[in-house]
Amino acid sequence: MAYQDDIALMAHLMRRAGFGARRDELEARVAKGYEATVEELVHPETQPPVDVYTLLRYHPAALLPGGQPPMGNVNYMYHLVNTKRPLEEKVALFWHHLFATGNSKVDNYDQLLLQINLFRERGLGNYRDLLVELARNPTMLFWLDNNENHGTAVNENWGRELLELFSMGVGSYTEKDVREASRAFTGWTFETKIPRLPYGRFPWKFEYRAEDHDDGEKEFLGHRGRLNGEDIINIVVEQPACAGFVCRHLYNFFVADEPQVPAWSIDPPRDPKAIDTLTTTFRESHYDIRSVLRVLFNSSFFKNARFQHMKSPAEVVVGSLRLVGGYEMPRPGYGDLSMQPSYMGQDLLNPPSVEGWHTGQEWINSGSLMARINFVAQLVGDPSLPGVRAIIDRLKAKGTLSPEQLVDGCLDLLGPVEVGADTRRELVDQAKEWGPISWDREVSAQTADKRVGEMLQLIVATREYQFA
Amino acid sequence: MALTTVARGRVYDWSHAVGRGAAAGTGFNYPQTMCLGKGGTVIVANRGNENNFGMRVNTVRIGAPGEEELLAEFFKWGDGDGRSTWPFGVAVDGQGQVYASDEWHNTISVFDSDGKFLRKWGKTGSGDGELVRPAGLVCEKSGNIIVVDSGNNRLQVFSPDGKFVAKCGKGGSGDGEFNQPWGITLDQAGNIYVADWKNHRIQKLSPQGKFLMKIGQYGTVPVPQGAYAITYLGPYLSTAGTPGYAKAGLLNHPTDVAVDTDGDIYVADWGNHRVCIFDAEGSPLATLIGDAQVMSKWGQQSIDANPDMMKARRRTKSLEPEFRFCFPTAVDFDPETDRIIVADSQRNRLQIYRKVRDYVDFQANL
Repeated sequence: MAYQDDIALMAHLMRRAGFGARRDELEARVAKGYEATVEELVHPETQPPVDVYTLLRYHPAALLPGGQPPMGNVNYMYHLVNTKRPLEEKVALFWHHLFATGNSKVDNYDQLLLQINLFRERGLGNYRDLLVELARNPTMLFWLDNNENHGTAVNENWGRELLELFSMGVGSYTEKDVREASRAFTGWTFETKIPRLPYGRFPWKFEYRAEDHDDGEKEFLGHRGRLNGEDIINIVVEQPACAGFVCRHLYNFFVADEPQVPAWSIDPPRDPKAIDTLTTTFRESHYDIRSVLRVLFNSSFFKNARFQHMKSPAEVVVGSLRLVGGYEMPRPGYGDLSMQPSYMGQDLLNPPSVEGWHTGQEWINSGSLMARINFVAQLVGDPSLPGVRAIIDRLKAKGTLSPEQLVDGCLDLLGPVEVGADTRRELVDQAKEWGPISWDREVSAQTADKRVGEMLQLIVATREYQFA
Repeated sequence: MALTTVARGRVYDWSHAVGRGAAAGTGFNYPQTMCLGKGGTVIVANRGNENNFGMRVNTVRIGAPGEEELLAEFFKWGDGDGRSTWPFGVAVDGQGQVYASDEWHNTISVFDSDGKFLRKWGKTGSGDGELVRPAGLVCEKSGNIIVVDSGNNRLQVFSPDGKFVAKCGKGGSGDGEFNQPWGITLDQAGNIYVADWKNHRIQKLSPQGKFLMKIGQYGTVPVPQGAYAITYLGPYLSTAGTPGYAKAGLLNHPTDVAVDTDGDIYVADWGNHRVCIFDAEGSPLATLIGDAQVMSKWGQQSIDANPDMMKARRRTKSLEPEFRFCFPTAVDFDPETDRIIVADSQRNRLQIYRKVRDYVDFQANL
């Protein structure tokens, strides 16, 4: 494979398994090798964690932010921008999509951040164990009312969503299964926590109340017995529907856009063979997400799926900030920065419902498209930012650039980004109006910097740039 | 859960708590540093949040338990003289004038004791007299101000009107070198103690800035099996009810230091959620972990005004998480009252201990 193809493939991997990478990082990773890079990504513990202490030195309110934005988002964005464990954050975001829990009800960004931390710590591990932790997670218990699920008065919210949205999907169970699963989770609740006044927030703590648990016999998906919550999860993960559901989610998030989840019972997967490959690994590894993702990232269907995925707002914002650099340290205004995905339709830590966000083309409407283009264009047009400067310096090293060379160079260093012939022609037409650019003299160098910034801005405004 | 700590001939008795979380008025909002004022007052620099409220310096009279009183508020968020973006350090000179640093604008502002703006100085840079992220401040008996020039990893001395006088230190981890230092204090002889934040130690310098001693090395709280995390960065309470705290001498991002009239040294061990006490030679004596078993006056007012809060408190199995420090940022020793005052930053309060001079042990067979 030619070196440029290696760079393009590595860029693809880093966009999907992380939030993109600058050219110097891509070159270093290509030198290390594709499979070695995958191995590093699926073992985030080999890389240092984010320095949270530096965040708290400058933004102490980001630790226990309470219910009002943006300090919870500041905490989350700081991690996303600074992580050296990109897949750990990407997987946490994946589970945040799937196990969508929102501040609109929880009114506790601190609890939501704790849940994200759970996804960081356990997200690449065993899916069955993660489900058990989720069922004990007070943020989720409150979000889906399991603290109101009593032995004498069953609340089916958690039990239903566990089956419908978190593990198998509609059509794989009956209403009776929902009822029985809910009965099994009676008594799974949390202790009364110390209230927020006068000294700020304290966390919830899981509590199992045996006296509030319905210990009677239940029948769930063909299994009978005095089933408790963990028994339900053990039965769920053994279902073929569960493997298919989780792996289709992984495919949709990491490989290529699928229809929205409610349509899955009607529309088959776009690549059934790929789903088969993933589900086989899922079962054979006993639900180990790390094993599934290792297979996924090394597969042909992944490598051939470049630009088959519409960037989510989080990917747009975080990818851009990591590309241009200069946003690693906390600063006044970090709150507004951390809310940028919200302005584009993805209010992190506050998804619209338990169903999570609709993905793919549904990210785009006239307002969100303008928001994402304006945000990215403002960044890539600023030559003072180190990542933009690095792009300019690489182009400058090539000497005088023809219009075609300027366009191709910018497309290359922004991704590489692949654009259609029409798009490239329009970009070249614009560059021709500027003529060749060079950094030979001080006056022309200033103009050349400006032209590069403008070309980058034009590229990020294209249809093609919205795909990863 | 003892309120009295006895260690090697010293006795520390928890006195009371002052304050509550408040973006304005009677309370605090993420105290970063603090200093002693006149007449039993403390002056606290509150960081606030990204919604641009909470930033301010406030002067509070501590008094006896239940007597806390707000006396002044100034250096609030905003542009222009007397306003701040990122308030950080505070110090008081012999005339009662208050010096406050803004680590975003890299300036030092001066106020009278009532909080009226007087003047300011400061220019961003690394040259003599220039500042990057000025943090802790302390006033010398001469009237000069020592500024912890955190971003430049050095100390700078200024005259009261802002003229550069001297500097010491540079970036690094060797003796006399710093890594993002935070708080500062002086002992009675004028020796300088600096919380060398990212080097996880305290450094003692002579009044001329010569390195004399260092205390501490990096170490974190060992998390016991089944421990309950109050935040994901601690503090941790074990199921057995005994906090698993790192042994004294291990520090995790220390933020401030104080020295008492006996030469004992108090360190705000921020990342380990405790105050470590050392003797004058730097040997560990004891640790304080926060003991606020009694509500502050303003805190009680919040509860009295919110019946749901009281109901929730009465159903809480354990209030112990509330007693403990959560990222204590600042510590001062008041020689007039023998009080150790700790700014318990994430809990937006002060916890006050007393070093007891006349303690008589109780009859053991009571």
